[in-house]
Parts: sequence; C-alpha cells; structure tokens
Amino acid sequence: MRSRRLLFAVLCLVTFVAAAADAPPAGDYAWPNLTDFLKRLIEKVGAPVKVYKLSMDRDGKVDLWIQDQQRRDLVDSYEYENGTMSDAIPIKFEHYPSIEAVDHHVIELTTIDFQRLPSIVATAKQKVGMPDARVSSIELERGDSSGFLTFTDIPIWTIHLDSPRHDGRVELSLDGKVLDADKD
Amino acid sequence: MPTRIELVLLAAFASTNALAADVVAPAHPLDDPAAVKAAFAARIGKPVHVLRLGFGEHYADAIVQNDAAPDEFDRFELVPGQPMKDGDPQKAGSIDCKKKIAFAEVDLAVAARLLGEARAIAAANGYKKPENVQLGSDIFCRTFGWTALLTSETNSDAILELTWAPNGASPKARELKGDHWASVDPKKLAAGAAPPPPAAPKTETAPTPGDGRKRNFLSGIDADLARVEAQNGAPLAIKHLRFDAKSLSLDVFPPNTRKKIATWIVDDDGAIRKWREDDTIPFDCNKPFATNEIPLAQLPAMVAGAPALIPPMAQGWVKGVSIYRSGLCGAPHVYIDVEDDRGFGNVEYDARGKLIAAGVQ
Repeated sequence: MRSRRLLFAVLCLVTFVAAAADAPPAGDYAWPNLTDFLKRLIEKVGAPVKVYKLSMDRDGKVDLWIQDQQRRDLVDSYEYENGTMSDAIPIKFEHYPSIEAVDHHVIELTTIDFQRLPSIVATAKQKVGMPDARVSSIELERGDSSGFLTFTDIPIWTIHLDSPRHDGRVELSLDGKVLDADKD
Repeated sequence: MPTRIELVLLAAFASTNALAADVVAPAHPLDDPAAVKAAFAARIGKPVHVLRLGFGEHYADAIVQNDAAPDEFDRFELVPGQPMKDGDPQKAGSIDCKKKIAFAEVDLAVAARLLGEARAIAAANGYKKPENVQLGSDIFCRTFGWTALLTSETNSDAILELTWAPNGASPKARELKGDHWASVDPKKLAAGAAPPPPAAPKTETAPTPGDGRKRNFLSGIDADLARVEAQNGAPLAIKHLRFDAKSLSLDVFPPNTRKKIATWIVDDDGAIRKWREDDTIPFDCNKPFATNEIPLAQLPAMVAGAPALIPPMAQGWVKGVSIYRSGLCGAPHVYIDVEDDRGFGNVEYDARGKLIAAGVQ
C-alpha cells in the first residue's frame, strides 16, 4: 500500500520532467525519461526509496545510488539508459560506511522536486552567463556547498555546463536557490 | 615609409572578411616569415595578443587572445601551402598563464633566425635537430620569450633548453641534470663542447625465464623466495615484501650495501627479474629482515582465513599481502588486504603469527 502511494506521488512529481523529456528544446539537455525509470525502480525495490546520489550525464544516462532498506549500510547503483534499467550494482566504498553514516547521507526520493529541474538548469545557465551552454552533467548529493559556510549537509544539485570557450558549475539547493557558481 | 609587413597587416585588418575566406599559408615558412605573419593576421582578422606561437618549416600555430574580448582565446594553425582554417576556440580555463605580446610586435624573421641557431647548436653538440621554436611563457609563468628544446638520440633524459627574449636577444642555455637545471656556457655550445650526458646504465638484469608452472602466490611463496635468493647471490635482506595471486615482489638490500634497494619481481609463470635499483631514502627504516623472521609456513593459512576474521567480509577475498617492519622500525608484520563487493578490510599479524588486528577499512 505504501509502495503504491509512493509510486503515485513520484509519478505526480516527475510527470513534468517526463513531459520535458519527451520534447526537449532544441540544443537543450537530453532529458531522460525519469518517470519510466523511477516507476520501474519503485516496482523493483519498493518503498521507501532513499537516494544516496543521483547523476545524469551529457547523454541523459542516469546513475542512481540508493540505500538498501534491508541492509542499510549497503548502497546499490541502478543505471538507466535508452529505456533500460540495470540490475542492482553493489557500490564499493573506500571505507565501509556505518548505517548511521548512510542514514544521514541519503535523501528521501519524495522530497526531491524533479519538476524544478528544467528551471534549475535555466537558473544555472543564467547565473554563470552561459545561455547557450550545454549541460554536461547533473548531480544530486548531500554535502556542504563550497559557496556557503554550512555544516548542515544539505542536498545539493550540481549543474555542470560546457561551451566552446567556458566551463561552468553551479550548485543549487533543492528549492532552486543558488549556493555557489563558478566559471572558467 | 610603411614596411611590407605593415602594409599587409593594414590590408588584412581593412578587409578581414574578404581575405579570411581564402587565406592560404605560404609554402616555405622559413624562407618568408613575413608572409607567415601576414597569413596569420589575415586569418585572425582582428587585433589580438599572442600567448603562444610555435614556428617551424612544417607547421606553425598560435594561441591568441582577442583584444576586444579578453576572455576569448583561439588557436590558429598553419600548414604550408594549405588554406588556413578558422580559429579553434579555447576554454578560458585551459589558459594557465596570461603572459602575452601584441601580435604586431611578433617578429617571425627573428624566429627563423633562432631556429637556425638552435639547429646549429644541436648539430655541433650531438643533439637531435629541433622541429621548431616556440614563443610563450615558461612552465611557472615567470618569463616570456622564445624557446628551443633539444633532445638526444642516445639519452632520452637529456634536455638542453635554449631561450631568448621576444626580440631574439639575451640568449641563455641550460641543461637538465637529474632533477635540476644547470646553466650551460654559450661559448661551450658554440664550440660544440657541450654534448648530452651519457645515458645512465640500466640496472635491469636479464630475467630468469619462467619454469612453465603457474603459481598462485597466495598459496605459498617459500620456494620462490629461495629462487630469488639464489639470483641475489646472498641471503635476502628484505625491506618490503608484497604479493598477490599473480605476482611477488621484494625490495631487498643488495649484498654488501645498505645504500641501495633492488626490486625483484616474480611473475606467476616463475620468471624472475630485477626490475630496478634505487638509492635508499634517508631517515627511512633501512633495517632489513630475513626470511626466517617472518611466519612463512603459516602464511597460506593466514591468507585463507583472513576474510572470515572480518565479520561483514566473510565472503570477501584477499587482494594482496605486504610484509614490512611495523611502526617506525619495529618487527616485521604481515598485512593482508581483504576486499569484497562493498569495500575493503585489513588483517594484521605479528612476526610470530599472532593476530594483531582485523577490521573493515
């Protein structure tokens, strides 16, 4: 029952992104079909889904690390590319994390507002003055922004941008507030 | 009275678009450096500063900065007799050093002369003929000028660096000696009396071929240590020993010295080779240990049982084993690295085979 509610909530959340994925603006990012990916992931692992790290590369390939809810000190990766989701890939850490460390690091999937992603990318481009830049990757992980003196380990979207003459990197909070930006 | 270069530059800047469409590089750059500069000027088509320029008879290229937009950098290439392409935009972040010179001040006739000087020095002293000279900054972004790097056929470590100011004045030379540079007297260069230093003798000896038997060193290393000892010609004075399933390597003090360390490698087919010999590191622990100071007979059991000693890693496997003196310069200990799908762990035994520690990393 809980899984169904979560599935419904996630589907509502990602529908906008999915629509953007279906018809991305010319030259914009190759948005992956997150609706399909997350729906299949929830069907496979059940609720709750706790995200350790999310990354999407230039071509829209998704790599999502989630906490194993049966062994909470373990983290598995699920990859999604061209409509195909991988099986769980065990993540090997340099140092074995404790359950407490993983619990602290993860982000509840339901707190991630995927609808904001296109506007977050637009904000990032505007912030570094690279309106025609390509998105080279998008990452989400809890951490401390290098632009803010915080020790709160907040979830941070990091947008990597690329143009013929410049590279840009913008960190934003889940609600789209710019935390840090640099361009070289 | 305007010079030929100035006339060409004026023409280039006055009708940029018309010229840029079909700029063809001169066929013989060293014979007509002014034409090379004119071709660059026409292709670039706007006032720029030069951060780097390479010049030779087969190829030239320049990285320039747009005077009107200082964060715009482009690279232009010139191949003799070929049409010149548009500039290739460079990432601003890839430009480490912003030392530069106005394009109008670059004198490629000087470059041609310097290349000739560098080649004469190379020929007189036994270096390879340099392909080009380069205008730019040094690696630390402290100086800016022309540079020619001379290398040797006989010693790949030998480098002679010739430098000049952007106007071709103030020639200097220095050679790489080990890890530092030493100035070279220009008179010696002119006299051909500064040849490249001879290559250091290779310390690698001919390998002992394998015996055809495939090994798994995690199952035991006694027999192969004895074989290395026979090659070494004396009892092994070991500083560091490491092995995994497929290779065994030992850092040992050669017989009769504590100032060198030789590294022996045994492959899983039994081939033995002395890979290298280096000076010891001062203040490092250079107290050797012998094979009878380590629990050789117990090693296979220690290795096999290591994963089970780390509770979450019972299904793991041994990645490698190291044996060296513990702490600052204590007794030799055995360190077993364990790995599983989720991480790494370590097991440590002392010289008598007593378990010291086991845990995840």
